[in-house]
Amino acid sequence: MRVALLPTEHGGSYRFVMLALAVVGILVSALPVLVVTIMSFSATDTSGFPPSSYSLRWYGDVLQLFTSDDPSSAQSVVDSTITSLVVATIVMVISTGVCIPLAYALARGQRKVRAGMELLFTLPLVFPLVMLGIAFLLIAESLALELGIWRIAIPHVALVLPFVLRNCLSAMNGISVELEEAAISLGASPMRAIWDVVIPLMKAGILAGLIFALIISFNEFTITFFMYTIDVNTLPIWMYSRTVSSLDPSTLALSVFIIAADVLLIVLVDKLIAGKGNLF
Amino acid sequence: MSTTTLKTWQAYAFAAPAFIALLPFLVACVFILRFSLSGESTAIEGFSIRAYQDLMTPFFGRSVWLTLRLALIATIAVMFMAVPLAFLLTSLTSPLTRRLLTVTILLPMILNLLVQAYGWTLLLGPSGALNKVLQSLGLIERPLFLLFNETGVLLGLIQTSLPLAVFPIVSAVRGISREHLEAASSLGANNWRVLKDVTLPLLRPALVGAGSIVFAFNASAFAIPLLLGGRRVQMLGVAIRDMISPLFNWSGAAAAGMILILMTLLVLVTSAWLVRVTTEKTKG
Repeated sequence: MRVALLPTEHGGSYRFVMLALAVVGILVSALPVLVVTIMSFSATDTSGFPPSSYSLRWYGDVLQLFTSDDPSSAQSVVDSTITSLVVATIVMVISTGVCIPLAYALARGQRKVRAGMELLFTLPLVFPLVMLGIAFLLIAESLALELGIWRIAIPHVALVLPFVLRNCLSAMNGISVELEEAAISLGASPMRAIWDVVIPLMKAGILAGLIFALIISFNEFTITFFMYTIDVNTLPIWMYSRTVSSLDPSTLALSVFIIAADVLLIVLVDKLIAGKGNLF
Repeated sequence: MSTTTLKTWQAYAFAAPAFIALLPFLVACVFILRFSLSGESTAIEGFSIRAYQDLMTPFFGRSVWLTLRLALIATIAVMFMAVPLAFLLTSLTSPLTRRLLTVTILLPMILNLLVQAYGWTLLLGPSGALNKVLQSLGLIERPLFLLFNETGVLLGLIQTSLPLAVFPIVSAVRGISREHLEAASSLGANNWRVLKDVTLPLLRPALVGAGSIVFAFNASAFAIPLLLGGRRVQMLGVAIRDMISPLFNWSGAAAAGMILILMTLLVLVTSAWLVRVTTEKTKG
């Protein structure tokens, strides 16, 4: 226990101030999500807090949105959700597929190659999202590219690469080269050694990378905001267009489903990389 | 044949697919730079710095100033909360509480930004939770206007960038050896002294690094000022969007974007340099 960082007793003013600041941080993080969750159970459609009575009517509305066909609206929530999931799946598969060999190359390659490559693949992390959105939009528009779903999938892949690579790399760092050499000395080809020894050992990191890519792509708003079209739009864009003028409680109920899915996936990642790597 | 290190060509072969996946991003970077130097405002045609000259207006200056100011305030607030949170996260012994706190802090960065915006709207609105609580406590008589102004945007920025600071600081705190802290307190230093003279100096590289990333993230924020600031808080991200969407001034947007990118890069590079200089000084 780190007594001196956060003393459990005799802390005096230090302990009080530290805990107070931490509590403020927790409140700022958690309150918006909590309020959305509480309001989604409201029985009325006013946004006054707290709700005067509770019901599940908005959840019923969400179910209806998903089950009933509404040919009148151009953007159906079902189409947007399917597009979101398809994009997220493409992004997951591509980003993880390219990051596994890259992590291997970085871990087993020479030091000087590694530093430069790591920097290069961290760039999308610090590049302003709004500029990425605009840049991709300008390219697609001025070259008149017909990309379909790839309009959104290509920028998303670039966006998630740093996160996926981080996870694959920390998994790769824990695998000693002796294991591979043992497999090779027993007659396996180098590729076989990678496939049968290294990849299975990387499994937790690969899974964490896959989930990270899924969460980020599924929740991404900024880039998609610039790239979406009437035919290709994702769930966050559908939610935006529905609530741009006023907040509609059924969107809150839909939000609760998204919150639940995200929490579940984060817990899963946290379990997978427990104690070994950092979240990012 | 040794398998310990890959030959250079092998390393590049393994990296090639990832490089192809990153290529559109690199092309986009070059494209923005080229467009900002275009002579025409809606197409790449010739070279000119007119787009940059056209930005020298009081309106754009105010937007840059607002962006820097809000990003700085948000970064300072984030750092004040991130350090205690990192201490708390590393001193929790129960895995369940630790996991709960991790999820609580990480969620805002990852969760769909619209959901967060709904949350802040419901919290800060005239009949929202915060005003209701303050009114029932008798602290205010009329509801405070917290939404569609800088307060709402600041809270949103703090919330979404907090995890960017907490988690790097957590790994740095894990790296502090207990001997340092015990030595300090056994020599009679109280908690504040230990924090000021031992813990914070040891954490300095992580603090500067995390602070610069939080600043860069907040300076380039788009969705939060768009959703929580309405039209009234014209941070750079939103101002750039307006150049594209109603105004069709593409080269202007590209030039403004280049300025935003240069600002964030400058902060990141300066802080990396600061970390290097200070760690070399303490070593030497």
